[in-house]
Amino acid sequence: MTHNAVVLGGNRIPFAKAGGPYAEASNHDLLTAALDGLVARFGLAGERLGEVAGGAVLKHPKDFNLTREAVLSSALSPATPACDLQQACGTGLETVVYVANKIALGQIDVGIGAGVDSASDAPITVSDGLKRALLKANRARSAGERVKALAAIRPRHLAPQAPGVAEPRTGLSMGEHQALTTERWGIGRAEQDELAAASHHHLAQAWQEGFFDDLVTPYMGVTKDAIMRPDTTVEKLGSLKPAFGGPEGTMTAGNSTALSDGAAAALIASEDWAAARGLTALARIVDAEVAAVDHPGGADLLLGPVAATGRMLARRGLTLDDFALVEIHEAFASTVLATLKAWEDADYCRSVGLDGPIGTLDRSRLNVTGSSLAVGHPFAATGARLVPTLAKLLHARGPGSKGLISMCAAGGQGVVAILEAV
Amino acid sequence: MSDTVTLDAPPGMGASFARALIPSRASDASVPSHEVVLSGLSQDRHRLADYARVTGFTLRDHVPPTWIHVLAFPLHVHLLADPKATVRLVGAVHVTNAMRLHRPVGVDEPLDLAVRAAAPRAHRRGALVDLIARAEVAGETVWEGTSTYLATGMRAPGTPDESGRPHFEAGPAQGIWRLPATLGRDYRRVSGDPNPIHTSRVAAKAFGFARPIIHGMWTHARALAALEQRLPGAYAVEVDFVKPVLLPGTVAFRAADAAGGWDADVTTRDGTKPHLRMRVRP
Repeated sequence: MTHNAVVLGGNRIPFAKAGGPYAEASNHDLLTAALDGLVARFGLAGERLGEVAGGAVLKHPKDFNLTREAVLSSALSPATPACDLQQACGTGLETVVYVANKIALGQIDVGIGAGVDSASDAPITVSDGLKRALLKANRARSAGERVKALAAIRPRHLAPQAPGVAEPRTGLSMGEHQALTTERWGIGRAEQDELAAASHHHLAQAWQEGFFDDLVTPYMGVTKDAIMRPDTTVEKLGSLKPAFGGPEGTMTAGNSTALSDGAAAALIASEDWAAARGLTALARIVDAEVAAVDHPGGADLLLGPVAATGRMLARRGLTLDDFALVEIHEAFASTVLATLKAWEDADYCRSVGLDGPIGTLDRSRLNVTGSSLAVGHPFAATGARLVPTLAKLLHARGPGSKGLISMCAAGGQGVVAILEAV
Repeated sequence: MSDTVTLDAPPGMGASFARALIPSRASDASVPSHEVVLSGLSQDRHRLADYARVTGFTLRDHVPPTWIHVLAFPLHVHLLADPKATVRLVGAVHVTNAMRLHRPVGVDEPLDLAVRAAAPRAHRRGALVDLIARAEVAGETVWEGTSTYLATGMRAPGTPDESGRPHFEAGPAQGIWRLPATLGRDYRRVSGDPNPIHTSRVAAKAFGFARPIIHGMWTHARALAALEQRLPGAYAVEVDFVKPVLLPGTVAFRAADAAGGWDADVTTRDGTKPHLRMRVRP
């Protein structure tokens, strides 16, 4: 027996630039704030939910059970179980899919898919050499052995290690990878800046219209997304220097996402549970798919979602025209633009195993309330931001309206999903 | 009484503390009759974040009641540094603390703080002094705290209350806290309490402790933090500081439902002797 998993709503804290207003807050603090806001919004205080799935990309070793600990600090019943998932920038969508799948199988009635990241509170670790020496000393059976182990420590071991931002297999940062893709697909500077400006303008308009009033709860004195620049223009963005791709590069700090802090959570339930509570189901989680490309073999790192999208649409017998709205995560403006080009490119689509091109998207359906360039991108939180946002937009368009989410993730991966308004 | 001393800024605790260190030769406990008032105190988010890290609270937009105590504490010191006070804060033992949070207090809300002392009461080992603090937001009382100190060897009128402490039963630990030697310095940083008994072995020895002891209000805050998600928006909490915790040290924690609230104990590691007993009630 399968059940319909539906999105009832969501809650996030405003996103902000790393080192900004949340600089003192930990992943635990941010995730707890997002959960407690959701609990307050849906009257879940003291309730035992089926499961809360959450995760962070930058995680301290002490946070091995981050989501469960946040649940224990939240107003949910302490009898609510939780798990941590991590699929790089796809985490927040993968947690929603995980919860939705359990609901569909009848294993749970209700759960939360969540994600958090703090680039401000990124873990700094000790070097491998120091770690090995300390662990060896810890295992030593005598004082002599311990001294010998510790004597292996060299000054060069003492420098702290910042979390890796480069792809382990290529040594290239995400921006450097995307610069290769930008060049290969011939994505120009102007179209990137136009997309970035549109993201800010759409987000600002949505805030002004009160769209986020039931999706965001203020935290630490921040009431709106702090990265948003409502008055930015293509001209202003055009004056920025290249950040990736060398002096001739087209990718700037303005058309790339900022390192961000934030947390988001989506409430997912069976239709029966929602009905019994008198809660409005916004959208059904119809399907999801994950894919990966061989980026160490030269494939475009952030085009992983293309194959996932093609396979999922084929499986469902859907085309792009069937979607009222599409959310493509704006890791970089050029990621979105390259994705749109890849969808149209028969050769590329066949190269990733699809039968033919996915199609051409009517751009008026894309990221209509802004996306990561303007909102910010706390890695694991973005998927859990997108799901309630899209569910609310689809619900307003009426039952049957379909939406597509496409998220790129490190490791050449991609997570995609289909929502349909109830 | 009824006269008021209004401060423009939180009093620096160094000078007040130095005055509070001068031994009192008086044997009769006396306290000033005025109230110390500090209006419009804005709360420092960065310090709150540090406080939350040191005490185990999640950083929220609403503050723990023990944090408001920390904000009111400089007024305690200022009041007892008054020449009319014969009771000295250094050397006096913080024996009990009671607080009532009337409603959730936001970190953005500027607080009007007031502290006064009640008339000393007799105790079989000296004199008890209640320092009564109040926090208001725009005229509404949002928090009240009474900190009771024992000035050992001093006299106060009246008959000691001999009712004694509630019965304590040894029990198994639900949690073990390992308190590092640096904890006294960490809590000094976030609380501003400069009493060297918490950070210096020499000072601790001078007051009869083998090692520095952790601030009682840290233990109180940590115990409250352990219950954080179970606490309602408004509640009363009382603690008895039974026995100081030496640093570094390991203690046990346990909590149980009681009368619509919680009873919690911080005990020796084996659970046989209490360090702190806490009662939370709606």
